[in-house]
Amino acid sequence: MEGLLLLIAILLPAVGSLLVMFLPWVNENRNNRCIFVGAVMVLECIVVLLVALSGEQTLVLFEMTKDLPIALRSDGTSRVFSAVMALMWTISGFYSFGYMKHEQNEKSYYAFYLMTLASLIALTLSGTMVTMYLFFEMMTFISMPMVLHSRSKEAVAAGIKYLIYSVAGATMGLLGIFMLTPNISSTFFVAGGSLMTDQLTLPLAAMQAVILITLIGFGTKAGMFPMHGWLPTAHPVAPSPASAVLSGVITKAGVLCIFRMIFYVVGPDFIRGTWVQWTLLACATITVFMGSMLALREKQIKKRLAYSSVSQVSYVLCGVFILDTMALEGAFLQIVFHALTKDALFLCAGAIILKAGISRVDEMQNLGKRMPWTMWMFTICAISLVGIPPLGGFIAKWHIAEGALTSGTQVFSWLVPTVLLVSAMLTAGYLLPPSVSAFFGGMAQTESPAIREDAKDPGLLMLVPIGILTLAIIILGAFPSIMIENFDNVINTLLKGAL
Amino acid sequence: MTLVHNFPFFSILLCMAAGIFTSVFKARVSKILTLMVVGTVLVLSALTLRLTLQLEDAYPFMMGHFPAPWGNEIRIGRLEALMATGFSAVMFISLIAGFRHAESFVSEQKFNLYCIMVDLALAAVLVLIFTNDLFTVYVFIEIMTIASCALVVVRQNGHTLVAITRYMIMHLFGSGLLLMGIAMLYGITGHLLMVPLKEAVQQIVETGNHLGPLTVVIALITAGLAIKSAMFPFHGWAPDTYAFAPPVSAAILSGIISKAYIFVLIKFFYRVIGLEVIISQQITQFLFVCGVAGMIIGSIMAISQRDIRRMIAYSSVAQIGYIYMGLGIGTRAGVEAALFQMLVHAAVKSLLFLSTYELINVSGDRKRFHYLHGAGYRNVPAGIVFTLAAMSMVGIPFTGGFIVKLNLAISGIAIGGWVRVMVLLALALSTLLNSVYFLHTVVSIYRKPAEDHIYPETPKMPAYAGVTLFVSMLLVVYLGIGSEPILRVIETGLKTFS
Repeated sequence: MEGLLLLIAILLPAVGSLLVMFLPWVNENRNNRCIFVGAVMVLECIVVLLVALSGEQTLVLFEMTKDLPIALRSDGTSRVFSAVMALMWTISGFYSFGYMKHEQNEKSYYAFYLMTLASLIALTLSGTMVTMYLFFEMMTFISMPMVLHSRSKEAVAAGIKYLIYSVAGATMGLLGIFMLTPNISSTFFVAGGSLMTDQLTLPLAAMQAVILITLIGFGTKAGMFPMHGWLPTAHPVAPSPASAVLSGVITKAGVLCIFRMIFYVVGPDFIRGTWVQWTLLACATITVFMGSMLALREKQIKKRLAYSSVSQVSYVLCGVFILDTMALEGAFLQIVFHALTKDALFLCAGAIILKAGISRVDEMQNLGKRMPWTMWMFTICAISLVGIPPLGGFIAKWHIAEGALTSGTQVFSWLVPTVLLVSAMLTAGYLLPPSVSAFFGGMAQTESPAIREDAKDPGLLMLVPIGILTLAIIILGAFPSIMIENFDNVINTLLKGAL
Repeated sequence: MTLVHNFPFFSILLCMAAGIFTSVFKARVSKILTLMVVGTVLVLSALTLRLTLQLEDAYPFMMGHFPAPWGNEIRIGRLEALMATGFSAVMFISLIAGFRHAESFVSEQKFNLYCIMVDLALAAVLVLIFTNDLFTVYVFIEIMTIASCALVVVRQNGHTLVAITRYMIMHLFGSGLLLMGIAMLYGITGHLLMVPLKEAVQQIVETGNHLGPLTVVIALITAGLAIKSAMFPFHGWAPDTYAFAPPVSAAILSGIISKAYIFVLIKFFYRVIGLEVIISQQITQFLFVCGVAGMIIGSIMAISQRDIRRMIAYSSVAQIGYIYMGLGIGTRAGVEAALFQMLVHAAVKSLLFLSTYELINVSGDRKRFHYLHGAGYRNVPAGIVFTLAAMSMVGIPFTGGFIVKLNLAISGIAIGGWVRVMVLLALALSTLLNSVYFLHTVVSIYRKPAEDHIYPETPKMPAYAGVTLFVSMLLVVYLGIGSEPILRVIETGLKTFS
């Protein structure tokens, strides 16, 4: 049956999650559970990669109402996104096996971890707007328990903030879906958009406003200004591996939805050169700058990384909103590299918090001697995030800046590269000092008193996942052309109307 | 005429007969009898629904051997059968899951009286759904008012007495308006049966004689039923009544009985007056404004509550607002959405009341939110059910609530103009407000309880109650995923309704 693979890709982690909840064997002891969850994730990776390698498939699940099919489809975009997400998820999952030993409620953690993966994969494979909305909401709610994990007062407050922002954003998105539905010629996503621009049911300005509201609504998940407030609160309170995927992967779900709306529903030509594009670009650039500034001021390491996500994900959005081939390549690259780097950074932070017992960046003096591996990898990732060649981050930012310069988007053609540069400096300002003080001791000659006596590198179960991510950053940074070719195939279908 | 054709009549008769017989039985027997009766009604209604799906059109059923207008008549169509099935299913679920709590409010000797009231309430609901006669409507509305009053007042404490006094005043006022309306309508047309009544009304509209009194009639009847179904701004009696009633009663009252009034109103619009006349009298606009206002203000009131049951009661006001907004849109699609919302809300609200009571029960019978912390762990099934029901209230995809919002939005967009803007804005705002209080509650039942709260050991919820709640939860999900056939029944049923 065609499309069966898509269903398997979604059902596998979902069923796995239910088994973690209810199967006694899985919960007999920690080993069983880890083996089971690990096996599910590895299988899931294989399935997703099979989906990514096989051709386009479509599967209509059921008809919701008369004209609203709930359908899955694996087109170019979904293959890229699903592969990135599944791989990231699995790597962080393996890290969890080491990390979560020290936390409570492991059972519910893994159950929701797998379930969120299922909804995320379903989101990437969605074939229609309504399907996408369904899984978007589902993902919000299922990822919620990861934020709430510690059940402390702080976590609950953060969780509620997360919910309210997400629901508000999703409602804005839904509003747009309602208004757009009568105006599109195909309920399925069509590369290049299917908006019937010559027979809109709304005045042009109203339609543009609706589109803007929709994109800002979906931008909530990507932490875009003005709906970014939840992100720095919600991400750090989760256990470290969960923060890693929340920050590195789930923010990309917001990007995906924006991507779908622009390139598969509305069509880039409809917003190119209009006030909608300028507003969106303004929002994205503001976010880039503001996120970096806020990160610079923040002393809690996980919060600092979360603010950095606010800024870095908006790099992607800048690349998307420029609506240019080069910039889109950059956006795709940034999606991959930000996922890799931010995952690795959060995992390093988790190791530091767990093993050295410190959570502030100004307590890290001379930590490098105690945890050399962790700090080395932290530094490499930091350098990549700043965007120093030859690491991955540089390639991505290069493409975005280059795309912006040649795109002819008026003021933004130079403003975007400038802001990216300034933000790169700020990034260096907030990520490199921790490394410097960890290796060179900063002002102090001795070790920071806050570091625990027995601080040392974590076990292999935690170190290896970080190592894989770091290696990936180095290798893919050196040979990005493997990916760019694939991205080009996707991008060409998206912008074919324009070029 | 096959046997199945008689089933609606049988089920009405069965309920009323059960009411009579229960009066001489002991508590345990009457409880079992009531459950069996409601279960049988459910099966009979489902069979009727199956029959009507095979028939092209609705069929009238003569009660006794006198033809109308001398005898009484009921009319059975798809829509009626669907509503009867849905409501009796909700009733059945509520009774199974919550009957044992009623025992703690009602003394052993009086329990059979409680069962009588349940039977009578169901009988009245069925009659209101099926009847073809305006006077019968009035009679059974009174029966329903009294029965529901008794259902609430069995819990005898100060709060309940105050609430029920308010309830009685408002409801008798509503009944009075309704009776005046019916009397005037009889005066200007000379009919009480719906079919000839509609012809007479058409004539009045065409000739223009008595058009003024007709407007008054419509206003009176609409206002009477609006008061009784707790439409904003006539909702004042509802929150306390729902909050302080025993949980089963609250579930039945807010889930089913308030919907029966609205169904009568829809019947009045479609089968007596005709929707065009209603629209031309601008009644729909009034309902629309009240509906939207109710959606927003009901939710705001719910946010400010500190007692979880009052919060849920206020959310009923908001949800009734959805129904009235659907009616107020004034198109067939809008009414379809409203009818679907009636089913969804009946199912979800009764689940909410029941699961909330379970949660309160494991928290030492205290209703404030901070005592409820961790209740989702102390009673896992109730926690899950509450979470899902809350999601449906917010309108999260894969639950019935989402389909309601979807259909309301689609029917609003189809009209265009300011209605479209109002509908979308109201939906968006209400979703947001709903999420504020419902999701907040969901989070709070999964929070760590404060150290100094000591929760008494409570008997575990029996397995059958858990299973029932779970099954009904699947029902809510089914309403969210498999809504297509139900919507189709509503659509075709509404076509043959007038």
